[in-house]
Amino acid sequence: MMFMTAFHHLVVGLVAGSGVMMGICAILVWLSSYISNLESSKLTLDRAAYVASIFTMIVIPLAMISGNYSSTNSGGAIFYNKFLFSGIAFGFSASYFVGRVRFGPEVWDHSSLSNLQMISASFALTSIIILGSIGSKITLGESTLDIFPFWPDFMNSIVINQWFSILLVIFGLISVVISLRSSSIKVSFND
Amino acid sequence: MKSRIITLSAILVLLLATSSGVANPGGKGDSDRDYTCGGSCHGDPSLSSTSSAIIDVEMSSTAYSGTATEISVSISNLDTSDNGLVGIFLLSSKNGNNDHPEDYGWTIIQDPNGGLSNYVEVVSSDNRASVSWVLLAPDDLGPKEIYVSIHHGSYYNHNNKAFIGETEGITVNIEPIPENYPTLAEGWTSPEERISGDSSKIKIRTVNTESLTVYWRLSGETRSHEATVEMVADQEWEVSLPATLGDTRIEYQMVASMGDFSNAMPWLSMGTSEPYFDGTSLGANLQSISFALIILGFMVSLQSWFAPRGVDKIIDNTAEVEKSIIANQESSVTELDDEYWSRLIKSEENPGWLWDPMENEWVADPAVSLRGDE
Repeated sequence: MMFMTAFHHLVVGLVAGSGVMMGICAILVWLSSYISNLESSKLTLDRAAYVASIFTMIVIPLAMISGNYSSTNSGGAIFYNKFLFSGIAFGFSASYFVGRVRFGPEVWDHSSLSNLQMISASFALTSIIILGSIGSKITLGESTLDIFPFWPDFMNSIVINQWFSILLVIFGLISVVISLRSSSIKVSFND
Repeated sequence: MKSRIITLSAILVLLLATSSGVANPGGKGDSDRDYTCGGSCHGDPSLSSTSSAIIDVEMSSTAYSGTATEISVSISNLDTSDNGLVGIFLLSSKNGNNDHPEDYGWTIIQDPNGGLSNYVEVVSSDNRASVSWVLLAPDDLGPKEIYVSIHHGSYYNHNNKAFIGETEGITVNIEPIPENYPTLAEGWTSPEERISGDSSKIKIRTVNTESLTVYWRLSGETRSHEATVEMVADQEWEVSLPATLGDTRIEYQMVASMGDFSNAMPWLSMGTSEPYFDGTSLGANLQSISFALIILGFMVSLQSWFAPRGVDKIIDNTAEVEKSIIANQESSVTELDDEYWSRLIKSEENPGWLWDPMENEWVADPAVSLRGDE
């Protein structure tokens, strides 16, 4: 569908923009604990990363849906990889968002939590860079990241049986619920 | 009057509802087609124009019945649209139906793109395009005609016309095959492509062949190499060609021999396809969601693990506790201060000083010192 192809290109641009903003801002907030020059911008960077993470979480699913119906969907391994990295990018963006909601801006005052937030944002950013590289391979046949000698061409993928994937979805849902419930139990104990 | 307006409005609406039509500027892909796509819009003189291209066809004027023969087409002086696409037809008539060479007994062993179609689309370079088909000559003897037709767009094409070029009939005389003539078996076609990295052997069926030699080269190379050929059954051969990767095309030429006579056949080519992939869109979606949830669950668990006790935003009352402690401290300090100042005694002998009977010491009167400051 022509509309979906154009829409997919639009949404992919938004994913790249918001993902990069989230990643860069989060890394800068983390660095502000070590670089005094950044201390004054800490609150602004934290808010920018927070808003960007929300936007990223909205546009990644839109990119996946539009990509599924766009003409670029060749159904090959490279397309499969695009989906996998979209899921990974979404998972890390959501982790960043949840961490920020749970602990507020004070999350950066605790070194372990701030490291975790930085790792979430960095992995989300890396996944989005890989996504962009795969998209470029599909549409242009090459990617800027091909200059790296170790950069894979993503022509192969790990395919898990669909039933096993459903099992993993259930397992993932349970793990998320348990993780969030364990923190609420802690709350009730403290109350 | 009213009905006329309604009728005219209806006609106007219907006219406006029609979309402007152009031919297929992006091409329609290789396929089996009749002349001008079987009477499609390209055949309409108001929608087409004569191409300025020059078409040269090279083909042997004689061919033995049922043997492989090659037809090479060179097109020059092409004025195509910005995508450079040109469609080329190989035809046996220009009737607009049943024009396919196979309708006249020819068999396409390979088209220029590695397939088996009589119509192919290629991208021109420097206003030129060169292609070749490999055919098996018909069994019927006598003169046969072959036509080549092209159609394409143009860079300056405001009327969206199709530009059509065609050749006159090229006559090929089909002669009876000499006795014991070594050639390919009827019905054998060249494989279109192999999977990337696949080095499995290619099966070739021949007739009247005592020995078979196969040469191979990569597309664009001039130097050829001899391949290993193994006879697996009577007139059945297996050829080992090196595996190819990416979008490489490999070309090969067979030379069938019987005694002292050798028949060098046209070069055939074989593309490389991507390995078979069994992933589905549904599987990709499910796997993606599962990855997202597992990552989220894992990271949230880590957050809970690393969170200092009571740091969670909802349960963090540190600020309130600190405030109440400070308030308590301040109130107790005020109470202590009142008790302390009330026990001090003023002295007329020492103005500006107060006597503390408990500690037996003089203390500066803050009221006097404040006035002094003023």
